[in-house]
Amino acid sequence: MSTETANTNLQDAQLRAGIDRSLRHPVMFFLTSGAAWLAISMILGIISSAKMHAPGFMDGCSWLTYGRTQAAHLNTLIYGWGFQAAFGVIIWIMSRLSRQECKAAGIILTAGHVWNLGVSLGVLGILAGYGTGMPWMEFPSFAWPVLLISYLAIMIWSMVQFKVRPEGHVYISQWYLLAAMIWFPWVYLTANLLLHVFPGHPIMANGINAWFKSSLVFLFFTPVALSAAFYLTPKVTGRPIYSYSLARLGFWSLAIIMPWAGMQKLAGAPVPFFIPYLGAAATILFFIPAFTAVFNILRTASADMEIVNHSPSLRFTMVGVFGLLVMAVAAVFLNLPGSTLKLTQFSLSGYGFEILAIYAFFSFVMFGAIYFIVPRITRREWISRRLIKMHFYLSIYGIITVAIVAIFGGWMQGLGQEQFDQPWESAALRAYPYVWATTISWCFILMSNLFFFLHLTFMWLGLGRRSNHPTLLISAHGHSPHGDEGDIDNAGSISAH
Amino acid sequence: MSSNSPQSNQKPDLDETINVTQAHGRVASETAATAREHRIADNGHEPISLWVIISCGLVLLIAGAVLGNAGPWFDYDALVKPKYVRGTPPGAPPEGPASKEALPAYIAKGQKIYSANCNGCHGADGRGGPTFPSLAGSGWVTGNTQKFSMVVLNGLKGPTSTGKDYGVMAAIGAGLKAEELAALMTFARNSFGNSTGDIVTIEMAQAAIDASKARETPGTSVTAEELTAKHNIMLPGAVLDPKTPVDPSKLTPVK
Repeated sequence: MSTETANTNLQDAQLRAGIDRSLRHPVMFFLTSGAAWLAISMILGIISSAKMHAPGFMDGCSWLTYGRTQAAHLNTLIYGWGFQAAFGVIIWIMSRLSRQECKAAGIILTAGHVWNLGVSLGVLGILAGYGTGMPWMEFPSFAWPVLLISYLAIMIWSMVQFKVRPEGHVYISQWYLLAAMIWFPWVYLTANLLLHVFPGHPIMANGINAWFKSSLVFLFFTPVALSAAFYLTPKVTGRPIYSYSLARLGFWSLAIIMPWAGMQKLAGAPVPFFIPYLGAAATILFFIPAFTAVFNILRTASADMEIVNHSPSLRFTMVGVFGLLVMAVAAVFLNLPGSTLKLTQFSLSGYGFEILAIYAFFSFVMFGAIYFIVPRITRREWISRRLIKMHFYLSIYGIITVAIVAIFGGWMQGLGQEQFDQPWESAALRAYPYVWATTISWCFILMSNLFFFLHLTFMWLGLGRRSNHPTLLISAHGHSPHGDEGDIDNAGSISAH
Repeated sequence: MSSNSPQSNQKPDLDETINVTQAHGRVASETAATAREHRIADNGHEPISLWVIISCGLVLLIAGAVLGNAGPWFDYDALVKPKYVRGTPPGAPPEGPASKEALPAYIAKGQKIYSANCNGCHGADGRGGPTFPSLAGSGWVTGNTQKFSMVVLNGLKGPTSTGKDYGVMAAIGAGLKAEELAALMTFARNSFGNSTGDIVTIEMAQAAIDASKARETPGTSVTAEELTAKHNIMLPGAVLDPKTPVDPSKLTPVK
């Protein structure tokens, strides 16, 4: 390597280190408070799931009735964890790819606190019984302007960074991020204006709500997670993305198809006949943007399976990408009008699909990104390989059970519901074993995320390992290019502070 | 690696007391994670595999079939059949509006016809006014039904049951169907304080319409003399028990 290249590399590394440094407070705040909300959401999920098979469980407390805990469970999962993880990852990736230090860390951090305040008050509102009853929008109506304004205060700086980026190529991740940053306020403002400010016919309100849910998944969480996956995979493996034209096909098909999805939830409702069919067709077509991206990312990573196995970031990301593949196939098979759509419309299956999207796909990719980002901004390595492994295995077994059981159990429940000459109780009884399994697997996922939250908090407190070598998921008895724990020489560690 | 560390601006007061090797070591340590990163290389340009396109094409086919099943989209006439009646699911109990007791069903239907046709003159409370006769307590309304029906069907000229002359009433009920006339008369005989408690059946109403056509001067208003002379009888027909269950819109008894 020539001296010039070495110098460029050093300057590059220092620029990257400077960017990471400038972002350390907001990003660590988003990730850690997001992880805390995730754990809270799991607890609420366990309570609400338990109530479906043990209705007497905590029935003395009106704050913890099913209608409130289930709503609080999903809203904390989405706005507490999902969005905050997305914020942390978006501002970091955008700064890195636009090669700009963050100059508004203080404003972002403040807006992040406002967002958290909005979510906290909203969740308290739901638990106190002031929820709106609109799925994923249950926060009392005071919350949405607060969330929207703090969202804009957080995201606008990434837009500015993109605008003033150095000349040159716009990377795939930036397409997805920029699109997601613009799509979310459009979707959120439209849904809230049409439901809270200018309410129309209640049947159409139901449809708008269904469209909002679908758009949040397909037009925000999906592009953010794909952006992170398209960033991490070549970054960790050191290989270029397999096919640029395939990525373009994936992006544009997502942008063109997915805004049409969602209203298939109105199947059978007195709305113009084509609306549910259009929604179903668009949701089925989610396969195209999803599958092309999955194929592209897996082909890039599969060239070096050893790295995928060893790197925590890549392992989580690949599981997330695989989750996207499952989600894409489920989108095809859950939305066939005339056969499956009516079975899944009012059953557990919808919940299963949502959890598949938010946890098995989005959250796993976010975990991957967090395992990559945190050592860089804290300048410490992850403390324990074992904690990462606990997080990985408990999460993966938990989420596979929740998603499969809820989708399959919902299908069985739907079959029960179709037998209209039987009492409703028989449909509920069919779901009984599956709900039990869901409760147990949420317990696994809760445990896994408590480990994750603990680990992340230690990192936030600066208790990470000081080392030049990353924490890899290599068995202590296996071979390691860096020795056991990858930390023999402790090079560079000093007690300067 | 080069030793001219650009980190010097972080330590402007660098002096002899600082161990340069150690300081450089710290720089290396702080950027360790970033330094070992790979740069993102140029995008690959592999062609899109055939089987990726085929898989996407299959899904496109499925989605197209779904859209094809959506029917003729915006064509309202093709989507909504005239006189559409919802089909009965197999094994379900026969559908249809729930049956109702005869008297309230006749009164409910009669009230609608009354509101549409009679309200304007006789008033919602049936008490008429200075220029229109009252139906409440009227001897003709609560008396013999054929007399009452002739007034409804043909209109009236001259004095009413009280002997007072209000001028001419037009043949407001001329176009009523038998079940409408039956409902209207039953309503009038059991409202505004009137309570005969009986029902003018559809059969009786049909007899009234026939009798009206059979008059010597059909199409002209009746007078008190004609009513007393020719129509002072109850309409013929089987009596209906007021508690018989009937279809609330057709007013026919149901089993």
